[in-house]
Amino acid sequence: MSNTSTFSYREQILNGIIKENTIFRLALSLCPSIAVTNNLKNGVIMGVAVLFVQVMVNITISLMRNFIHPKVRLPIFMLVISGWVTVTDMTLAAAVPDVYGKVGLYIQLIVAFASILARAEAFASKNSFMPSMADGLGSGLGFLFALTVISLFRELLGKGSLWGYHIVNAKPLLIMILPTGGFFAVGILMAAFNWIDARHGKKSAHASH
Amino acid sequence: MTGKDIIKITLNLVVVYLIGGLILAVVYAKTSPIMFQNNKIAKEKALKELMPEADKIEKAGDWTIHEKHAEYFIAKKGDETIGYIIQSFGKGYSSYIDTLISVDKDFKVKKMNILHHAETPGLGDEIEADSFKNQFKDKDLEHLKVLKTETTEFVQAISGATISSRAVTEDAVKNSVSFLIKTIKEGGAGNVEHKHI
Repeated sequence: MSNTSTFSYREQILNGIIKENTIFRLALSLCPSIAVTNNLKNGVIMGVAVLFVQVMVNITISLMRNFIHPKVRLPIFMLVISGWVTVTDMTLAAAVPDVYGKVGLYIQLIVAFASILARAEAFASKNSFMPSMADGLGSGLGFLFALTVISLFRELLGKGSLWGYHIVNAKPLLIMILPTGGFFAVGILMAAFNWIDARHGKKSAHASH
Repeated sequence: MTGKDIIKITLNLVVVYLIGGLILAVVYAKTSPIMFQNNKIAKEKALKELMPEADKIEKAGDWTIHEKHAEYFIAKKGDETIGYIIQSFGKGYSSYIDTLISVDKDFKVKKMNILHHAETPGLGDEIEADSFKNQFKDKDLEHLKVLKTETTEFVQAISGATISSRAVTEDAVKNSVSFLIKTIKEGGAGNVEHKHI
């Protein structure tokens, strides 16, 4: 995947945000992208928690990569992930109790996110410290970005508010904050993301590829 | 798989468990006192918020609802009892809704607050909105009833969340108010007997 001599941190981070965006491109971890995104605040906090876990997991796995026996690779990845998720969980509960009351349930579910295990297995277990951190940052930021966009879209249409503040006075589309609306939102935004990316890719084909 | 592999695997797991356990222990030791303090402050604040005019809120006894333990309190101003505060649970759509209710001396609801719940975000969690909670002010036992139509005499259901609205009104609040009437009004003031519903 990468080669130390030509490795570009910028490209690795952008890769996680755009080219291999967990939700819009790889279509992984779709259940949290529907479960927690019916308002902006929950979506953003969930995204930040995932970003933190992803970076920490990547760093840990990359530091341990020469020590881990291939046969117990996956159990060790899972232990590392659940460890960092528990740390995040306890820290959030102590630091922001009011927000934790709302998203606490989903924080523990980060353990089961396919995207986090995938980055650990595909990248961090084969690369050194700094590139792994960049990869975690990219993938985590991509997830945060996707969750922010989806929850912004859903809260605005479904409730007519943003971050809890009422802004639109029309009757909201209740369906957008229900699970059904989550599927619509993810589908529509995924299409939009890919459309914009494809057009942009065509324009700057010479510059970036 | 050779013996060397087995030793390495064992070592791998032991090291990961030990380091992981150590990190978690440190984080837990740091965060749990804060969490405990947060809970205590939150509880005191919640009680005070329900009865701002009281200068002393004393625990009066315990009761159980839905097999959950809850407490009730007497609110005093000086030496005079001005009302009661009771914690109660309602069986909602996807969780038990933990509520705190204050009533005046005549057992009319003064205020109701939601402490904890896991109802559907965006729908059931509207029970936390002021527009829903404020409806409980001055309702007595007979008027703790949910209607789907527009009403001020009774409690108006949140659209799309009738079950959550009912759980709060007809389960949590109504049961606790009738418990208070039974134990305090009919059983004599300050009764601290353990009762079950």
